[in-house]
Amino acid sequence: MLLDFLVVGLSIGLVYGLVALGISLIYSGLDIVHFAHGEVFMFGAFFGLVLFNDIGFSYPVTLFTAMILTGIMGVVIERVFYRRLTKQGGGYTVAGMGMIICGFGMAIILQNIAYLIWGAEGHAINVSFGMPLQLGEIALPRSYLWILVVSVGLMAVLHLGLKHTKLGRAIRAVAANKDIAYLMGINVPLMISLIFCVACGLAAAGGVLIGPINYVQVEMGYLILIKAFAAAVVGGFGSLPGAVLGGLLVGVFETMGAAYISGSHKDIYAFLLLIFVLMVRPTGLMGTLAKVKA
Amino acid sequence: MLEIKGVETGYGKLKILRGIDMSVPDHSVVALLGGNGTGKSTLLKAISGLLPVWKGEIILDGRPIHNISPHEIVKAGLVQVTQGKDSYPGMTVEENLLLGAYTRSDNAAVKSGLEMVYSFFPDLKDRRRQVAGLLSGGQVQMLVIGRGLMAAPKMIMLDEPSAALAPLVVLDIFKQINRIRRETSMTILVVEQNVRMALLLAEYGYVIHDGRIHVEGKADEMIDNDRVRNAYLGGTVAGTTEALDAA
Repeated sequence: MLLDFLVVGLSIGLVYGLVALGISLIYSGLDIVHFAHGEVFMFGAFFGLVLFNDIGFSYPVTLFTAMILTGIMGVVIERVFYRRLTKQGGGYTVAGMGMIICGFGMAIILQNIAYLIWGAEGHAINVSFGMPLQLGEIALPRSYLWILVVSVGLMAVLHLGLKHTKLGRAIRAVAANKDIAYLMGINVPLMISLIFCVACGLAAAGGVLIGPINYVQVEMGYLILIKAFAAAVVGGFGSLPGAVLGGLLVGVFETMGAAYISGSHKDIYAFLLLIFVLMVRPTGLMGTLAKVKA
Repeated sequence: MLEIKGVETGYGKLKILRGIDMSVPDHSVVALLGGNGTGKSTLLKAISGLLPVWKGEIILDGRPIHNISPHEIVKAGLVQVTQGKDSYPGMTVEENLLLGAYTRSDNAAVKSGLEMVYSFFPDLKDRRRQVAGLLSGGQVQMLVIGRGLMAAPKMIMLDEPSAALAPLVVLDIFKQINRIRRETSMTILVVEQNVRMALLLAEYGYVIHDGRIHVEGKADEMIDNDRVRNAYLGGTVAGTTEALDAA
C-alpha cells in the first residue's frame, strides 16, 4: 500500500514539478511571477483533449503537438502583453504592480475563453493504456508510468540543455544579467520568448500527462497554480532543481496525507508543508539569499 | 573606425550627455577620462546600444550604429568590456569566456581564441573550471577582458579596467592590454579614472566633464598639462589652492 501511494505521490509531484519549473524559469528569466501559468497548463490539457479525443492523434503525438501549440501560445502572451509592460518599465524587469495585475487578468481571460470554447464540464483524455505493470508487490498503472518517464525525460533534457549547450548558456546569461547578455551579442528578446515557450511547453506536458487520470476542466488551472507555487516556494523560488524537489515533496506529502490522515482535506497538506519549510528555511530548501543565478 | 558626432542622451528626462564629439581612428588607442558622474559610462552605454541616442550619430566603419540593437553592434565588431564586477559570478571561467564568443559559429576558431586568451592570462587557464565568483579582483578583470577578446572584435571598449584594483595589479592589467594591442593591432577605447595609466597607453585623449568633452589632445602632451589635472581631478591639493587663488 505504502509503495503504491508513493508512486502516485511521486507522479503527481512530477506534474507539479513541471508547472513549478515553468514558473521558476519565467521568474529567473524575466523577474516576473507568472500568475497565468495555471491557465496555460489548463490550455495545454485542453489542446491534448482535442487532439486525442476529437482529431485522433496517438498519445505521444498528442503530447508533442500540445507542447508545441502551448509553447507558441506562450510566445504570443509574452510578445503581445508582457513585453509592452517591460518596455514601459525601461528594460526587461518588473514594472511594479502592472505585471502582477496583467498576470491575474490574463488568468481570468484565459479561463473564460476556455469556458466559452469547451464549457464547464470535465472530460478525460480517453487513453486506454492497457493493464497495469506488475512490479513485484505494486501494480503500476501505465498512465503513471508515462508521467514518470516523460517528466523525468523532459527535466533531464532541460537540465542538460541549459548546462551544456551554447543556447543553454545564453539563456542562463540572460537570466543572470540582461545588459551583459546583450554585450555578449545575445539576442535577449528572442531568448526571453524562448524561455516563455519552454516554460509553457512544460506546463502543457503536465496537462496532457494528467489528462487521462484527472478530468480536464476549466478550474484545473488555478488549483495546479497554487500547488505549483507551493512547490516552487518550498524548493526555493527561482531555483530549477528546487522546483522539481518542491513538486515531488508536495505531491508525496499530499498523497500520503490524503491516504493516512484524511482524504477530504487533501488540498491542505501542501500548505502545511509550505508553512513548515518557510519556518525552518525561509529561502526554501534550495534557494539562496543572494541572487547569484546561473 | 568609430566616429561620434554630437551625441546627446540620458536617463528618462534627465540629459547626461550634451553633445559629444569623438573620433577613434583604426588601430589606435584612445583614452576617455573623467571622474565619477561625468558621463563616461553613459557614453559607453550609448555606443553599445544599451541606451537610446537622443540626438547625433555614432558611426562604425561608415555604418551608423546608433539605435540598433546591442547584439547587432557586437556582430558588427564593436565589443564593450564591462567592469570586473559584471562577470557572470555563478558560471565557470570557461563558460564566461565561451559566452564572449556567442556570435561566432566556427568552433575551431573559438577554440584557438580560447587558447589566445589563456596565453595572455595564464591565471585564467589554471582556474577555468572554477566559478568566476571565486576569482580575485584582478583575475575577474582579466576574465572580462578575455571575454571581450573572445568575440574577435575589430574594436574593444574597456570600461575602467583599473577600478577597485591595487596599483601593482593595475600595472599588470595595463601591461597585458598593451601586449594585446601590439599582438592583435586591435582598436581600443579605454575609459579611465586613472589618468596617468590611461595616457601612457593611449595615443590620444579626451576629458569628459558634465556631459561635454572639455579637453582633447595627444596623450604625451596631455600627461603634464595642468588643464587636464584641473578639468579632471578638480579635487587635488594643487587644484584646490589654484581655484581658491583665482577666486
